[in-house]
Amino acid sequence: MRILIVEDDAALSRFLRKGLEAEHHAVDVANEGNRGRAMAMEFDYDLVVLDLNLPGVDGLSVLKSLRQRKANLPVMILTARSRVEDRVQCLDSGADDYLVKPFSYLELSARARALLRRSHLPSESVLTVRDLCLDRVERKVERAGRPIELTTKEFALLEYLMRNAGRRLTRAMIIEHVWNLTFDSTTNVVDVYINYLRRKVDDGFSPSLIHTVRGVGYQMRPEGASA
Amino acid sequence: MSASPHSFPKLPRGPDVLGELLHSLSQPLTSLRCSLELSLEEVAEQQQESVSVALQQTEKVIGMIQLMREYLEAEQPGPEAFSSALAPTMRSVIEELSSIAAVRGVRLCLVGTCTATVPVPESRLRLALQYLIASMIEAQAVGGKVMLLLGEGPAGAVLRVEGERSSREPGLRDQEPSASSPPTKRDPTGATLTLRRVRLLIASRVLETAGASLVFGDGDGDPNGFVLRIPRRVGALVE
Repeated sequence: MRILIVEDDAALSRFLRKGLEAEHHAVDVANEGNRGRAMAMEFDYDLVVLDLNLPGVDGLSVLKSLRQRKANLPVMILTARSRVEDRVQCLDSGADDYLVKPFSYLELSARARALLRRSHLPSESVLTVRDLCLDRVERKVERAGRPIELTTKEFALLEYLMRNAGRRLTRAMIIEHVWNLTFDSTTNVVDVYINYLRRKVDDGFSPSLIHTVRGVGYQMRPEGASA
Repeated sequence: MSASPHSFPKLPRGPDVLGELLHSLSQPLTSLRCSLELSLEEVAEQQQESVSVALQQTEKVIGMIQLMREYLEAEQPGPEAFSSALAPTMRSVIEELSSIAAVRGVRLCLVGTCTATVPVPESRLRLALQYLIASMIEAQAVGGKVMLLLGEGPAGAVLRVEGERSSREPGLRDQEPSASSPPTKRDPTGATLTLRRVRLLIASRVLETAGASLVFGDGDGDPNGFVLRIPRRVGALVE
């Protein structure tokens, strides 16, 4: 996929480019609004990652211009503004997603994949990692053909891990996505639920799919390799 | 040369200064966070722990910046166009927090309903309720219960929340999770308690700015109950 990053902070755009290129995307960078708008108009991108606060033309104006010419081009907004009104303004102006700084690269990467998937493929109803299958519509899970009973929260956690298979997920990301919380609940609820899942999904099966990433969080490894 | 009071007409003042500083701080912190995350993939095993610690500390700073932003927003009236229904938001928050309560061996019991709305965006009402209920869960001992009574009368809607602290052993997890595992709890540090109080302050300001009143029960900064009142004139009841 080809991605355009329009961001005036050189350090940040360098890290984003590095991360997205490591995920096998072709990445271009524009460091100001006029240049970004011109590149987005001229070339065929699969996704534009657009900072709002840009020198020259601001991000919102770039977004509005893009929507007149390229209505279906996915655009993810990066901004330091977190108020509901700011979010509504961006989405009303045609943004597909909105990420507030200081965001996590893993978060940006996950959202970029979601936008790229949405624009290119129908949403998958069945997720598969090796012999583990999760049916989002039927709400069923089985491994090696054996049905696995999960609670609602365990199901949501497993779906999140499988959707991001091969990627390291921090506890903060897991608690935000699965529990819809943006603060530390002072429990080790993530570790406890990972433990529940391991008992149901990995115990008695080989290889183990759910791995601890020391100091970070967890990862579902399709190859089942050791940490 | 004399200085004119009109020399710098666009300088931000008061909370705006803090807002601008937080805004500026978020840029280098984003680079720092992304850099550390990507470095974790690359560094040798001996350095991984150092990078992990740096990343965790960065995330803590980011969490505090988020709290400062929320505090600033809570001090300002919300946009007029927004209004959120209390009861469904309350039920949703309880559902989100029930598994966290279960892990701590605490039960959440919601009784009653109401039709009141609060003139704030749903995300702000949700945040305030999350902070209030999470604080109540944290204040209970294993086996404790949090009772939430929702109702309404001529004066408006009332939410009464009381904690029933208990020290008996767990065994109350009647919803999820299904697997048996000891409930776990991290003892709050001084910093954690401070953050909890700030969250309660934010919840309080969000609700009071919207015209509601919030009165905490016993405990200074670590209350074991509260009463939230939403006057009829504020929370236009849904007919």
